[in-house]
Amino acid sequence: MTNDANNQVVVTGIGCLGSFGLGVEALQQALATGVATTTDVDQTSGYHRRGSATQVAKTGDLDLTPWLSEDDGRRMSQFSQHAVTCARMALEHANLTEIPSERTAVTIATAFGPGAFTERLALQVLQKGGKFASPFLFTDCVANAAAGQIAIATGARGANLTICQREAGPLLAIAQAANDLRRGRADVCLAGSVDELQPLSHAILDRFRAVARPTARNGTIEELPRPFDAHRNGYLAGEGGTMLVLEREQHATARGARILGRIGGSARAFDATAPRTGHGSGSEALAARLQERLGAQLRTIDTVISAASGARRADALEAEVLRLALPELPQVLTPKSVTGEFGGGTLGAAMLALMGADFGKPQGCTRPDPNIGIDIAAGPIRAQHILCSAHAAGGVSSWLTLSQP
Amino acid sequence: MSTSLQDDPVVVTGIGAVSSLGANTESLWQGVTSGTRGMGELDLFDTTSHRTKLAGQVDTDALPQQFAHMSRADRFGCTATDAAVENVPKELLRSGRTGVFFGSSTGALFEGERFLTELLKGQEGDLHSIVGLQNDGPGNAVAKQFGCGGPVITYSTACTSANVAIGAALDALQSGEVDLAIAGGADELCEITYAGFNSLRAIDSKPTRPFRKDRKGLLMGEGAGVLLLERRSHAVARGATVLAELVSAGRSCDANHVSAPDPEGRGAATAIRQALQEGDLSPNDITFINAHGTGTPHNDASESKAMHAVFGERARDLPITSTKSMVGHLLGAAGGIEAVLTVLSIQHRLLPQTAGDAPADPDLGLDVVVQEARPLPANNIAISTNLAFGGNNAVIVLRSPRPSATDARSDDAASRHQASNNGASS
Repeated sequence: MTNDANNQVVVTGIGCLGSFGLGVEALQQALATGVATTTDVDQTSGYHRRGSATQVAKTGDLDLTPWLSEDDGRRMSQFSQHAVTCARMALEHANLTEIPSERTAVTIATAFGPGAFTERLALQVLQKGGKFASPFLFTDCVANAAAGQIAIATGARGANLTICQREAGPLLAIAQAANDLRRGRADVCLAGSVDELQPLSHAILDRFRAVARPTARNGTIEELPRPFDAHRNGYLAGEGGTMLVLEREQHATARGARILGRIGGSARAFDATAPRTGHGSGSEALAARLQERLGAQLRTIDTVISAASGARRADALEAEVLRLALPELPQVLTPKSVTGEFGGGTLGAAMLALMGADFGKPQGCTRPDPNIGIDIAAGPIRAQHILCSAHAAGGVSSWLTLSQP
Repeated sequence: MSTSLQDDPVVVTGIGAVSSLGANTESLWQGVTSGTRGMGELDLFDTTSHRTKLAGQVDTDALPQQFAHMSRADRFGCTATDAAVENVPKELLRSGRTGVFFGSSTGALFEGERFLTELLKGQEGDLHSIVGLQNDGPGNAVAKQFGCGGPVITYSTACTSANVAIGAALDALQSGEVDLAIAGGADELCEITYAGFNSLRAIDSKPTRPFRKDRKGLLMGEGAGVLLLERRSHAVARGATVLAELVSAGRSCDANHVSAPDPEGRGAATAIRQALQEGDLSPNDITFINAHGTGTPHNDASESKAMHAVFGERARDLPITSTKSMVGHLLGAAGGIEAVLTVLSIQHRLLPQTAGDAPADPDLGLDVVVQEARPLPANNIAISTNLAFGGNNAVIVLRSPRPSATDARSDDAASRHQASNNGASS
């Protein structure tokens, strides 16, 4: 592929689910409120310690029957069910009833993979013995099970990739898919993120002090994600899925597809000062890398879909990088305050910011951290050029730009 | 392929490996060329409750102590990387233009099992032991240990993970995003995957015998395989020795079954064809194959059909081997160690045999290297294939280093590099 016009990659479909419900409209409504839908985390297994976080953005019992048959449901983990649901929803949204099988790729990011199946298998093996391992659980507990199930469900026979890079994964997955499309390896790519959060994973995140814990404020106990807020003490761990349909513009136009947004560039970097489960102090090097890769594009950015989640150090790092890379800071949105961390909710939020959507003020953000000095934007948003950012615990950062069609 | 890529191919300038045959590439090569099976009874965990007892377990006493605080997989990855980058200045590794592209399917799951066992007893495990629990553990450990500032990404596509990662590194080098790439994979043995493969009756109770008539299954292994990759101009400029060229990669999905390969090998054939196409190669150019060759009846039959689909009658005369017969199946690291072995085969012009006593399965119709390692011609172009759960297929192409058509230009680049260094220091 040498012609730039042929190399433009566009988004033509979205499928998503999370604690907010099923579909783009449900996400849109949730973002407008600025309030996350949370439930009490199941602590009956005894994994949690006293005083640990109690809230989680679980998907609950969603009615997946429009997207999955009973047979699908029986032969898949919830992780795979959610992935296939999002993929089918995205294909329908893109009006792609028949995909070019050999030329359709799948790229998924996941931080935890199929947590429930893995935990059940682990308990079988560790408590009863290796001979009690279920082959059914085993085959659908690998990290790439969801991508494989999407391929089986849709007939996508192109590259089938799974990226595990914690919070940075969703943006890396979109960048990977765009690269494969630009190189002419596929005509259509289903790309996004899926995660399933089990009590065990939640309890481990809590031990690493990653998630927001209950705190007494104004005479009540609150446990909220507070991006960029002075009182932030961790993120809201969540689960869900977001899948986008990506195509080269020429391919999308030729089939008369509605173009929802355009993928610009991407950047990625590693901060070796980061502890293995936290965030470091290398904001200058990260910002330099971002500018090196996306230099000219950064000047057009009018909206940031921020990585800020309420995590203490990660939000500070995000602010430092943004201020260095974008001295005239545009409006900043923090959708993880609604979707929770994991599950790719920011991808859906970014697309909605392009398509025109209301973003409510995050519920927990009442006192902006003066050391950060970022006021979170709210109200009707119609972004022209977006920078999405992500900083994973352990040091990986990724960025992606999106634009109006 | 563009002219610039032909002039400035991506080359391998460093290799490192950890396996049950030892903690370095020398012991690995000596082992595989002598037909040594690095397999024995596991003592990493109690196998009493498991169906089988054999695996290719790494002797951690043979590993350098500097990474002893890490999980097994992180330790394997860092040890292999340390060898691969031994001739690279630290400041170059610490640049924002050095990336890490890794594959892993289990991360630090063995340590995770120990942690969970403690939790189930109502006790607190060692939290530090699970900092690399997620699948990005080994890649992150390598990036942190060596201070890399460029892209760091982990692919977890089960047994194709490392091959996918090596292909991604190739892209990043070809696009100019990075100047150096550490690419490969690391995985460790653990009870869950051991029991899982046993539940599928995929593990042999005896040493595995890929492509042999009496093959019964795979044996799991653990370890790491790492390549140091760069563009040839960069390698020449810093005076590095070129061991091989990384030509291209191909990937596909069977879209057929969550764990079994497509019986006709169609997806694998597609991935091989894509790799050949991206490398501007024809099937006739290939001189040997380092196969996935797990030793399960289904895998080897499916893979042989893919070879026949791509290479036609030539498949019967094309030397093919499975080094898993000696180091076991390293899962997410399989592509890494097999890439290292493919580079060593190119370097030494010798293809290790597939260990086993029974004759090669005549129904497969392949030229399986048996009995002893086979000499190779002076110039080789090889494919290394991996197939995985989820119907995942990934292939890489490696070849002997070619004399550069632009040696003069490379010399110029070296002169400029030298002048630049002199200028910087003066």
